[in-house]
Amino acid sequence: MSAATDYAAPAATIPAAHPWWRGRVGLVVGVALAMLVGYLGWKSTLPWSNRLVWNSLTSYLDRFQTWLSDSRNTPHPNFVFAIFNGFATFLDNLVSWFTTFFEKLTWVGTVALGTLVVLRFGRWQQAVGVLAAFASFALMGLWEQSVQTFALIFAAVGLSLVVGMPLGVIAGRSDRFLRFLTPLLDAAQIVPAFAYLMPVVILFSVGPGAAVLTTMIYAIPPAIRITALGIRGVPVNTVEAAAAMGSTRWQTVAKVQLPLARRMLLLAVNQTILFALSMVVIAGLIGGAGLGDVVTSGLYSNPALAILGGVAIVIMAIALDRSTESMANRTDPARRHLTDDKKLRLRLFTLASVAGVGLAVGLGHAFGAGGIYSGRTAQDWLLRSVQKGLDYVQNPSTWIFHITEPTGNFIVQRGLEPLTNFFVETPWPVMFVGIVAIAFLVSGLRPAAITAIMFATIGVTGEWATSMGTLSQVLIATLITIGVGVALGVWAAESRIVDRILRPINDVLQTLPQLVYIIPFIYLMPVSQVPGIVASVLYAVPVVIRLVASGLREVSPDTVEAAGAFGATRRQVLLKVKIPLARDAIMLGVNQGIIMVLAVVVIAGLVGSGGLGYEVAQGLQRNAFGLGVVASVAILALGIALDRTTRGRARARRERAL
Amino acid sequence: MSDRFRVRRGRAIVAAALALVVVAGLAAAGTATARTTKSCGTVTLNEQAWAGSTANTYVAKAVLQKIGCKVNITKITEIPVYQAMADGKTDAVLEDWQHVAQYKQYITKQHTVVMGGPNGVTGHIGWYIPTYLMQQYPQFKTWQGLKGKETVFKSPESGSQGMFLGGDPSYVQKDKQLIQALGLNFKFVSVGAEPAQVARWTQLYKQKKPVIFYWYTPQYLNLQYKLSEVQLPKRFKGCLDDFATGGGSVAKYKCAYDHIVLNKVFSSKFAKGGSPAFPILKRFSWTNKDQELVAKYIAGDHLNSDKAAQKWVAANQAKVNKWLGK
Repeated sequence: MSAATDYAAPAATIPAAHPWWRGRVGLVVGVALAMLVGYLGWKSTLPWSNRLVWNSLTSYLDRFQTWLSDSRNTPHPNFVFAIFNGFATFLDNLVSWFTTFFEKLTWVGTVALGTLVVLRFGRWQQAVGVLAAFASFALMGLWEQSVQTFALIFAAVGLSLVVGMPLGVIAGRSDRFLRFLTPLLDAAQIVPAFAYLMPVVILFSVGPGAAVLTTMIYAIPPAIRITALGIRGVPVNTVEAAAAMGSTRWQTVAKVQLPLARRMLLLAVNQTILFALSMVVIAGLIGGAGLGDVVTSGLYSNPALAILGGVAIVIMAIALDRSTESMANRTDPARRHLTDDKKLRLRLFTLASVAGVGLAVGLGHAFGAGGIYSGRTAQDWLLRSVQKGLDYVQNPSTWIFHITEPTGNFIVQRGLEPLTNFFVETPWPVMFVGIVAIAFLVSGLRPAAITAIMFATIGVTGEWATSMGTLSQVLIATLITIGVGVALGVWAAESRIVDRILRPINDVLQTLPQLVYIIPFIYLMPVSQVPGIVASVLYAVPVVIRLVASGLREVSPDTVEAAGAFGATRRQVLLKVKIPLARDAIMLGVNQGIIMVLAVVVIAGLVGSGGLGYEVAQGLQRNAFGLGVVASVAILALGIALDRTTRGRARARRERAL
Repeated sequence: MSDRFRVRRGRAIVAAALALVVVAGLAAAGTATARTTKSCGTVTLNEQAWAGSTANTYVAKAVLQKIGCKVNITKITEIPVYQAMADGKTDAVLEDWQHVAQYKQYITKQHTVVMGGPNGVTGHIGWYIPTYLMQQYPQFKTWQGLKGKETVFKSPESGSQGMFLGGDPSYVQKDKQLIQALGLNFKFVSVGAEPAQVARWTQLYKQKKPVIFYWYTPQYLNLQYKLSEVQLPKRFKGCLDDFATGGGSVAKYKCAYDHIVLNKVFSSKFAKGGSPAFPILKRFSWTNKDQELVAKYIAGDHLNSDKAAQKWVAANQAKVNKWLGK
């Protein structure tokens, strides 16, 4: 590709005289109306026929799990299992090594280490933040659990980046590799952890190792995706200039593409940490220990404690996020201009920090401070206060309840129930043809074909009715997510204040375990599906906001200035320049929004959405492995279909441009 | 210039604060607990999500600590914990609700897990309604009374049918099959995990509204809310017993819920390892009332689990001595 055609590419993205939707919206509405006629005329006359279902699939899967377990648990398992075993032991040891390391430091030394590292490499405000985070763990009486979780996250994030970043660089440089990788990444993000937890446990046993592995499966995809996006965002002419200067391929990657993609790489690190922290609770189910345990077991017997555990996870997430960011910014070579004087001072400071940590550890041992903070805590007081708040929410005679309950009922009776009935009771051929036709109209032939295959898969696995129920909920949640997310993302990109306000809220929403904040909603809106939808929206919105906002901010300031010089108003700059130029990032946001909504389907199932999510949860916990896998396949198929439908046009356009 | 000054001053403040914390912390701490571990070594017990399981685990922990064992507690869910026992990572589960498929696979076939016998507690699952509702509709004592009256339990999401509130997806259940087999006009509504289900029915209870739901004993909330059970038919035409004949195929489960003898299961490695803790755990057995009381201490009164267990142990020396073989 030459620089000239590349230069012309943005010009082609300016909306044509006839925007695509002008002709198609009518057709899509037409298809929808035809489906409605099908629904009204032949309501529940033609459910998916049992003859079209591969009934023995679940029992095959069940037998596979039994076989796996039997061959693993013999006195002399074969070498394949020995390899898995070795890997699990390595991960176990890694995590327990980190944990003992922190315990050896004593809690005083751990505090000193954390604070001084951030103080040396980051900004002092973040060091204060880290100190406050440590203080909060101690106050909440969750020191030990926090250290365990930190060790787990440290191992999982480190390994995820080691695996994810190189793959992301390759995917950023090779379209073919990206195309090959994308479905795998989709699968890793959409297939609920509950579905593969049991095989993971059989292969890797329980404990921190299995927990790290499960976390990695979920945390690697964002590392790869965002790295690839960053590499692709490096201006092509810069890369070509480097090549023209005679750089080798390795030099181009290391000296040009990676440094220029620095911002996105940091976003990748950041998102990997947050994604990993959102798996803490699930990791707790298979022996991950730490804060995940506090949340899961607290939910059943002491909800206030579960909330404290959730808060600790959030505090850890925010502290990690902010301090990694500040360290990255301060060590940015582009901003640093070190003089000899400064260098000397920094070296002295490093020495002082090392000495400080050493001193703290020494003092800790001398005074017999434990590896775990064991002094006074405010846990009892905190628990009582939280419990008071919960009691208030649970009281059905407060004014809040009189607003929230009718709202919830209205959403269910007027919105969800009719929509679910429409999806479930429309004769399946009508629904099938209708959906595929819409995919064709919106995105073109290829996506329509993929959609058809996916829905056929759903039918054959015997999950048609359940999937249609889930689909209606996912659609509602996705629409709300994208509407709210894109609007807030644009607003955050335009206004620093909004960005400042949204950032901590986003962090909280992304890392606070859904089960924790959804419990109050169950009390307030006691109708089953609503809390599930609230959970999906709250979880998916932050990613959409972040990606949309960062995409808009990445738009080159020169272009914006040029537009301003031509007399464009702020609104025009936003709508005609920034948004079209940031379309890739916005589409990625939409796309990730859908995937995130689907990622919460299982959690939503646990708080009342039923459907596929409930079946997956049962699969793990009631030993119905086959059922769980089949339901997960259906979730994946739904995800791919929705994803291709929304991404089809952008991709088709890019492929034409290549 | 001023900017740099601020940064440096900031660093000084942080360093000072840190020093203060170190000193203050050292003064406050100083409780290095040296653990005395004798030949018993470490025993790993598994605690499951419900409060009854917490009660078993912590009482056993309190007793084992008396003979100098160090006790670790894992919190792994019901099915994966079998693999943990097979690997010797967890030594004992003190309350297992008859996971027949796992018994077959891990105990009978692989010999990686051994049966530890009943823990003395009898579990019972059933359909429950609030007692105030039972007083209002005495015919709800048995399932026949529900027939034709299902609409009493109408809810926003059940349409024209009555709502049956299903249990936690991880629990033993067959309500969908029962509703179908008994020809009741209920819509099975799953509100999800137990905390969600509890939130739902307690909310309705507080408003004195009708609700029928999956519930079980022993459960500490039974001390807090007045609930009555709806009698389901023990056996009826086409009924197959769960784990004798119907094992494996969920479609064949049509009998009422049984009273379930709750078992202890042990890792084979632990059972054969000669730990002095094994015979004690093997003898461990108590009653529904004992367990409910400890569970209430923990979940109802929000007492620390260790303290709750010690409170019970102190008050029940005779039982504990029996476990200890004294």
